[in-house]
Amino acid sequence: MSADDKVSPKADLISAFVWMAFGLAVVIASWRMDRLESQGASLYTAPGLVPGILGAIMFLLGVLLAVRAARAGGLRRDGVPWRLTPELRSVATRVGGVLVLSLIYAAGMVGHGGIPFWLATFIFVTVFILLFDWRRRAALGQTAKGVLLAVVYGASTAFVVSYVFQEVFLVRLP
Amino acid sequence: MFSGLIAFGHSIWSFMTPESLFYVFGSTLIGLIIGALPGLTATMGLALMTTLTLKLESSQALLILICTYVGAIYGGSRSAILLNIPGTPASAASCLDGYALARQGHAGRAMGIATSGSVLGTLIGMFFLALFTPILGELALKFGAYEFFWLTVFGVVISGTLTGDDPLKGWMAGFLGLFVAGIGQEAIYAYDRFSFGNRDLAGGIALVPALVGAFGFAELLSAMKQHQLPVKINPFDSVIPKLVDITKYWRTILRSGCIGTFIGIVPGVGEDVAAWSSYAAAKRVSKEKELFGKGSIDGLMAAETGDNACVPGAVIPVLTLAIPGSAPAAVLMAAMLIHGVQPGPMIMVQSPQFVYDVVAMMMFATIGILFYGLTLTGLMIKVLQVPQTVMVPIILVLCAVGSFAIAGRVFDIWVMLAFGILGFILRQLNYPMAPLVLGIVLGDLLEKSLRRGLVLSDGSLAPFFLRPISMVMWISIALIIGMRFDAVRAIPRRLGALVR
Repeated sequence: MSADDKVSPKADLISAFVWMAFGLAVVIASWRMDRLESQGASLYTAPGLVPGILGAIMFLLGVLLAVRAARAGGLRRDGVPWRLTPELRSVATRVGGVLVLSLIYAAGMVGHGGIPFWLATFIFVTVFILLFDWRRRAALGQTAKGVLLAVVYGASTAFVVSYVFQEVFLVRLP
Repeated sequence: MFSGLIAFGHSIWSFMTPESLFYVFGSTLIGLIIGALPGLTATMGLALMTTLTLKLESSQALLILICTYVGAIYGGSRSAILLNIPGTPASAASCLDGYALARQGHAGRAMGIATSGSVLGTLIGMFFLALFTPILGELALKFGAYEFFWLTVFGVVISGTLTGDDPLKGWMAGFLGLFVAGIGQEAIYAYDRFSFGNRDLAGGIALVPALVGAFGFAELLSAMKQHQLPVKINPFDSVIPKLVDITKYWRTILRSGCIGTFIGIVPGVGEDVAAWSSYAAAKRVSKEKELFGKGSIDGLMAAETGDNACVPGAVIPVLTLAIPGSAPAAVLMAAMLIHGVQPGPMIMVQSPQFVYDVVAMMMFATIGILFYGLTLTGLMIKVLQVPQTVMVPIILVLCAVGSFAIAGRVFDIWVMLAFGILGFILRQLNYPMAPLVLGIVLGDLLEKSLRRGLVLSDGSLAPFFLRPISMVMWISIALIIGMRFDAVRAIPRRLGALVR
C-alpha cells in the first residue's frame, strides 16, 4: 500500500470498534456454549475455551487499535473518511459493478443451478467485458469490434473452462 | 549422505517420463503467466491449480503445484522489469533496479539477471531443503503439544509482524484466521460452534475456497479499482544471462540464497520479505551502493535470488512441522493433505522418499524457469498486454469453479465470495492477508495442542512455560510483541542508565 492509500485514523477507529464488538460477541457466545460436563469434559476440553480466548485477544487488540487511532486524531470531527469525491465515486462504481456481476454469476446463475454452467459463463464474461470496456471502445470508435470481441471471449472461456475441467481433469462443474 | 543422494536419484528418475515432463513445462508456464500478470499471485495460482489437479495422482499433482509455485515467483520479475509493476508481491523489490535497467535500454539484461538469480536461488534453497529437512525432522520429533501450541502462536505473530507495515493489524488478521479455523464441529466432541444450525457451516470453512476468495476474488476487486493504463514496453536487448553477472556477484547470490532460505523457514513470512531482506543486506555491503534504485545489477540479483530461494525454504517447515513458511506454501500444504500426504514430524520416519521427491520437483521447476527464461520473452509481452477487463472475468470464472470443485458444494462458492469481500475490505484498511491465511491453516493445530497440553498437565500451565523449547518460543513471542511498544523498547536504556 502506498503512502497515498494511508488509512485515516477515523477509519481505523471505526474498524477498531467493529473488532471490539466482534471479539466481545465471540467471548459471550463461547461462554454460553455447552461445557459438556455430562460427557466428562473438563474445563480444559470445553468447546468454548479456545474461541473464547481468541475472542478476548481480538477484543484487546481492538482496544489497542482504538486507543492508537484516537491518539492519531480519529476522534476529530474533520477527519471524515467517507467524503464522496468524483474519484472515489468512480472506484465505488467499478468495484460495486464487479461485485454485483460476480454475485449474480457465482451465487445466482452457477450456485443456484438454474441454467447450464457454460451458458452462465458465456453470459457473465460477455456482459462483464461489454460493461467495463464499453467506454474505451466507444472513445476509439470501435463499438462493433468491442461487442464482437466480448462475444468471442465469452464463448471461448465457456468452452475452454468447461472442456478442460470436465474432460481433461475430470473435475465436476456446478 | 549417500543414501540421501541415492534417494534423490530415484526421485529424479521417477519423474523422467513424458507425462511428468509435460506437466513440468506446462505448469511452470502457467505459473510464469500467473506470476507475471499484476493482480494474480502465486497463492491464488496454487489455489486454482489445486482444484484442477484433484483427480491426478498425488506425485503428479504436487509436481504441478511446485512448478506453478516456482514459476509464479519467478514470473513476477517480468512485469516488474518491463512495466514497473510487481507481478507478485515478491517482485516488488525487483521493480527498483529492474525497471531502472529497462529504462536504460537493458531490459533484456535485467531479465537475464532475474533468470540467473532465480535459478541459482532455487538451487541454493533446494540444497538446504535436502540438507535441513532430515535435521529439522529429527528435532521436530522432540516437539509435544506444548511446543506445537507456541509454534502456532509464533507463526501468527511473526507473520503479522513482518508481512505488513502495521504489526497490530497483522496480529488481528492472524487471530481472526485462527478463529475462522474453529468454526464448525470441534475435534474432540464434534460440538457445533458458530454454525447457527447451518449444516454446511458445521462442516467448517474449507481452506482452498477461503484462500481463493481472500487472494483471488479480493485481488480482482482491488485490480478493478482503477482503469488500466495502456501498457508501454521499453525496447530490450538479449535475455541470455551474462556469465560475468554471475561470477562478479557470486557473494550476493550466496548471501541472498541463504537469507531467502532462512526467511522461508520462518513460519508465514514469505517471499516478499525474503526479497526485501536480501536487497537490504546487499545494499548494506555493496561496493556500488549509490547504484541501488538506479539500475543496480547487485540489487536486482539479490532480490531475485532471495525470493526464489525462499520457495524451497518455505517448504521445509511444511514437511517437518506441518507449518507453512509462506502463504503459497500454506496452499501447497493443504494440497498435500487433500492428496493423502501427511506432512509433519513423522515424515522422515514414515515416508523419507517423499522429501527427496519434493527436492526433485524443485529441480524440475528450476529447469522449467531456466528454459522459459531464455525463450519466452515475446509471448510474455503479449500476455502482459491482455486488457484487465478481459482477464478479470475469466479469473472470476476460475475462482467460482475452483471453489466448487474441491468438494462439489455450492456452499464453497459462497465461502469464496464472503472471503473475497472480507479480504477486499481488510486490504483497504491495510490488514495483511498472509497472517489471516496462516491463522486458518494453523487454527486446528493450535486448538488441539492447547487442549491436549492442558489435559496432559491436568490444567497446569507450567509445562507451557518451563519446557526448554517452549520457553525459547514464548520468550521470542514476548520479545517480538514487546519490541513494538515504546515502553518495552525503553527498558534496556533505563536499565543501562540505572547501572551507570
